[in-house]
Amino acid sequence: MTSGVLLFAYNNEQIDYVAQACFLAKRIKQYMNLPTSLVTDDKERVLKFYNGAEVFDEIITSDIIRKNKKTYHDGSLSKKVLDFKNFNRSDAYDLTPYDKTLIMDTDYIISSSLLVNCFDSANDLMMYSTCMDISGWRDEDEFRYISETSIKFYWATCVYFTKNKRNKAFFDFVKHIKENYQHYRNLYQITSTVFRNDYAFSIAANVLGHVKELPGTMIYSTHKDILQNIHNDEIKLLVEKYDRVGEYTLLKSNGLNVHVMNKFSLNREMINA
Amino acid sequence: MDEKLQKALEFGNYSTTLENQKRMLHEKFVTDTIYFYSGGQFTINKELINFVFMLQQTGQDTSVIVDDNNIPIEVDVNQFLENISDKFFTASNEYHTAFKKLQTSRSVDGLTE
Repeated sequence: MTSGVLLFAYNNEQIDYVAQACFLAKRIKQYMNLPTSLVTDDKERVLKFYNGAEVFDEIITSDIIRKNKKTYHDGSLSKKVLDFKNFNRSDAYDLTPYDKTLIMDTDYIISSSLLVNCFDSANDLMMYSTCMDISGWRDEDEFRYISETSIKFYWATCVYFTKNKRNKAFFDFVKHIKENYQHYRNLYQITSTVFRNDYAFSIAANVLGHVKELPGTMIYSTHKDILQNIHNDEIKLLVEKYDRVGEYTLLKSNGLNVHVMNKFSLNREMINA
Repeated sequence: MDEKLQKALEFGNYSTTLENQKRMLHEKFVTDTIYFYSGGQFTINKELINFVFMLQQTGQDTSVIVDDNNIPIEVDVNQFLENISDKFFTASNEYHTAFKKLQTSRSVDGLTE
């Protein structure tokens, strides 16, 4: 049985997701000793400009047919509307070269070996539903349920699965939800008009019901926090202060995996690294 | 700025940072006390240690314990107890050391260095 991590990276006008993927793949090797494969739309570019052959086990080409517009914040005071190409996460089952796969967002910073234990688990499909906002004061409700009157929220940021018939059905169902998003949006009272993988995976998880919890907790910082630096397993973030727009508190984590949603600050850190 | 106000703001900042760092340390402790055994995942706590200790004391060599995901896992009681005890006390000691360091830090820089 082969095991590895699968990342998706599609650059937009300002965010270099491929650079994030390279950065993450090196950390996955360092902390989890696992190979990483990349799904992207421009393999030649990854090989030429990012030295992709050295970083990735395999580079898989998959074109994005549709894209969303999304507001990207850079701290509390700056934001931009950019393309967000997130439509093929549901193809992970067909695209992965591994029998056991951990899918991750490129902004999930690995600083421990915790998730390597999934590969020996008796569970064949695992996601996070438990989470912790790094600020300690922000409302976490949007990550508890997909809407106020709806079902439990699961994070598509990190998904572990084994190839089998049951999980093929799971990913086929996610595709079906994606293709009929308006219907499922109405059915599950989702207020956002923008398609989110988290919602599609949450609906599939709640309907099919065989998803188990990944070890630990999904620790996240939002777009309104700013990544200051990453040094080995230490991550320093400027966290938005309560009721003080544009003011931050410094926070340090050691040995914990952290989802850093502020892509601009993550890219800045990678340039400095 | 008024000196008293300046000090109050500095203390507010220190206090928030201290609480944040305490939360992160606790989260690290929680993560460090997850034990993986034979495909199962167990959160080590005093209850689990006591239960496995009871199994050992009543002379059971193997037993079935239900893991965090409700999967029954057959365990070698002696080996399991030794491993969870070791992992729990290592994590507790690290938590204690880091917590003491936080308590003696008197500035934001000290808390996050």
